[in-house]
Amino acid sequence: MSAALRAGWRRLGAAALRGRAGRPLSQGQAAAGDSGGAEGGGGGSGSREAVERLVREHPVVVFMKGSPAQPLCGFSNAVVQILRLHGVEDYRAHDVLQDPDLRQGIKNYSNWPTIPQVYLNGEFVGGCDILLQMHQNGDLVEELKKLGIRSALLDAEKDQEKK
Amino acid sequence: RSLSSGSEGESRLARVLRERFPRASSIRVVDISGGCGAMYEVHVESEEFRDKRTVQQHQMVNQALSEEIKHMHGLRIFTSTPKP
Repeated sequence: MSAALRAGWRRLGAAALRGRAGRPLSQGQAAAGDSGGAEGGGGGSGSREAVERLVREHPVVVFMKGSPAQPLCGFSNAVVQILRLHGVEDYRAHDVLQDPDLRQGIKNYSNWPTIPQVYLNGEFVGGCDILLQMHQNGDLVEELKKLGIRSALLDAEKDQEKK
Repeated sequence: RSLSSGSEGESRLARVLRERFPRASSIRVVDISGGCGAMYEVHVESEEFRDKRTVQQHQMVNQALSEEIKHMHGLRIFTSTPKP
C-alpha cells in the first residue's frame, strides 16, 4: 500500500474505515500511521484509560488483526497458533481492524508501532517475533506458569517420556 | 515519501541502524516483501543490547527506525549480543 493510498484513506475518515472487516493476509504486521495522529481518541476506545482497562481484563490479552477463529494477518495468526500450542484458548483478543481508535490507542499505550501485541498480566510482552522467541526458548511456559496457567506442552513432554 | 524498493531500501535502513547503533558488531537488513520495500527483516547484534530484555532491545530498534516504519507494512526484528 503506497503512502498516497494511505493518505487517501485518511481523507475518507475513520468512519469509512470502520466496518472494513478484513485485510488481505499478506499485509502482515501493521506499521504505524494509518490513522495518522498521535492521540488515541481522547476518552474514546483508544484512550489510555480504555486501553488500561482492556489490558487488565484477563491474564492473557492480545490485540490482533482479525479474531482467533479467523486471523486476518500472518503475524496475528502466528500468535494465535503459539497460544494454541500451549493449550491457551481462554484469553481476550481484540480485533484492531474493527476499531481504528483502539488500533492507534494501543500503539500509543505501549509505544510500539506494530500489531499484534501480547499482554500478560497487564504487562506488554511484545509482538509475534518476541512470542515466537519465548516459545522456542521455554520462557513462555515459565511466564504462563506465573499466571497460573499450565502449558499443554508440559503434558505433551510427559507423554513423550512415557513412550 | 515512499520507501525505496529492494536493495536501496535495505541499504538505507542498514545505514540508519549503523548510525543509531554505533557499537553494533553486525547489522543485516532483508527485504521480505519480494523487493517491494513494504516489509523488512532486521538483524542487529550489538553490545548496546547487553542485559536488556528482548522487548527493550526491539524497542530500541523501533525508535531508531520510527520514521521508516511509518512507511512499511511490517517489520521483523531480531536482536542479539555478541558472544563474550
